[in-house]
Amino acid sequence: MSAAEQDIPNVQKIAAVLWPSFLTAGVATILFFTAFDPQLIMAVSGYGEISRMAGYSIGFFIFWLLTSSSCALTCYFRKPCDDIGKKS
Amino acid sequence: MGTPSDQIENSSSDFYAKHKKVYPREVHGLFASLRFSGVLTLLGLYYFIPWMRWDGHQAVLFDLPARKFYIFSLTFWPQDFIYLAALLIIAAFALFFFTALAGRLWCGYACPQTVWTEVFLWMERWVEGDRNKQIKLDKSPWAKNKLILKSTKHTLWLLFSAWTGFTFVGYFTPILELGASLLQFTLGPWETFWIIFYGFATYGNAGWMREQVCIYMCPYARFQSAMFDKNTLIISYDDDRGEPRGSRKKSADPKELGLGDCVDCTLCVQVCPTGIDIRDGLQYQCIGCAACVDVCNEVMGKMKYAKGLVRYTTENAIHGIPSRILRPRMFVYMSLLIFLSAALVYSMLIRLPLELDIIRDRNALYRETNEGLIENIYTLRIINMDEQAHRYTLTAGGIEGVKLILAKKDLYAKSGEVITIPARIQIDPAYLKKIGYDIEFILTATDNSELQVIEKGRFIGPLK
Ligand code: SF4
Ligand code: SF4
Repeated sequence: MSAAEQDIPNVQKIAAVLWPSFLTAGVATILFFTAFDPQLIMAVSGYGEISRMAGYSIGFFIFWLLTSSSCALTCYFRKPCDDIGKKS
Repeated sequence: MGTPSDQIENSSSDFYAKHKKVYPREVHGLFASLRFSGVLTLLGLYYFIPWMRWDGHQAVLFDLPARKFYIFSLTFWPQDFIYLAALLIIAAFALFFFTALAGRLWCGYACPQTVWTEVFLWMERWVEGDRNKQIKLDKSPWAKNKLILKSTKHTLWLLFSAWTGFTFVGYFTPILELGASLLQFTLGPWETFWIIFYGFATYGNAGWMREQVCIYMCPYARFQSAMFDKNTLIISYDDDRGEPRGSRKKSADPKELGLGDCVDCTLCVQVCPTGIDIRDGLQYQCIGCAACVDVCNEVMGKMKYAKGLVRYTTENAIHGIPSRILRPRMFVYMSLLIFLSAALVYSMLIRLPLELDIIRDRNALYRETNEGLIENIYTLRIINMDEQAHRYTLTAGGIEGVKLILAKKDLYAKSGEVITIPARIQIDPAYLKKIGYDIEFILTATDNSELQVIEKGRFIGPLK
């Protein structure tokens, strides 16, 4: 790890991945489920029945998984390239 | 980032420093009372609102399972999403406006993070005692007494958090039913999950994370400086008056000792919930809670010095330039706010509480009846978004010779009801000059001819 990487506290690192992704996943969930009713999606795609609460919740976690992965990848790729392959 | 190594050494040493727990000391004073009443009002509203009833339903309910939002006499549907979006934009501009005017008023008095942290601090003080007792307790070895105090505190916190989570979910599913199923242990899995999730978030944020939420997680804290200018109200220490700081006897004359008014009692640091020293100047960690103002005023009072060594002021005022409230930035925010609010109110007033959806049968393009008419099949959905029930009449137009046949004669929908009716449109082929036509479906309430929607549907005939 480079100095630039190390000099932020761990809470900040974790928050930087989980928190913005939480917010964007929230927005995505609201937009998506305003347009589509989870029960309708399930009925149309033939996956059987689920309650709307379950639909919203699962939808939210799928979004969160996606957004947090992209946040984590961003953090990973912004590591300076010089360090790759070097032992610190 | 080409930082010189000595700087890295310096900065990393305090970044590495393990997070020090902040023990905010209790304060009394004008701003503390203001915050106290703010906390009571806001939390009172939060815990009370879901229990309010209105016209036989929960007064404020964002009924996610039913996909309907109730706010007193208003009912919103997913189609009304635009209002919610507009409301959020207005809220954002209001925040910009107040930030430019009065700095971080929001942070100090109204932010849920501040408000809940305050309540958690009360509970902590109530169980563990004041700041010094808390520090001593944390340093002391784990003995019976410490164990009892700590577990009492956490039990209190957890109970309060659980109630908070329950209330939160009560905004999204009817709270009476939620309460009933909680008592009968028949709570749905997702309701249970979200109660725990929100409760746990409260416990973590207000009990453990506290100022770290403001420093590391709050987007507003990061960008609020963009809305600041030299006329924005901030909390500041009066350098010229306070320095050089130093302790002295109450009877001593500071001028003789060559000292400023700051007695270096460090009380302002002890009360600060984010653990900073306001005497170091404006820092982004400062949430503008004015605890340091209250406590320093108390000290100044005891010393018989003038109050306001730490005070609400503006950057201009500190430098002796008169502050201006009415500046271009304020006019921009203000006119945007007024315009958007007016637009929102107007569009809500003219909102028609009626919707008609037309879904064309996808299985067949058209059909020829025994009489030789061309027929298309549709499914109509009537959504009555009004407070009252209505009976409707439906007619079709758009081209000559349209005949509308409904599967149901009586179109009656209760308040909030959605009715679905299969319908057929028949047209004599003599009138059909091209393949496709737009047919107009006109839906009118029988008791109010203003309550009318016209919706277009596609009619498809044979190739000529
Ligand atoms: S509370 Fe006032 S007098 Fe005491 S250290 Fe702070 S600024 Fe100085
Ligand atoms: S510096 Fe003063 S106003 Fe700012 S957070 Fe600390 S106590 Fe509150």
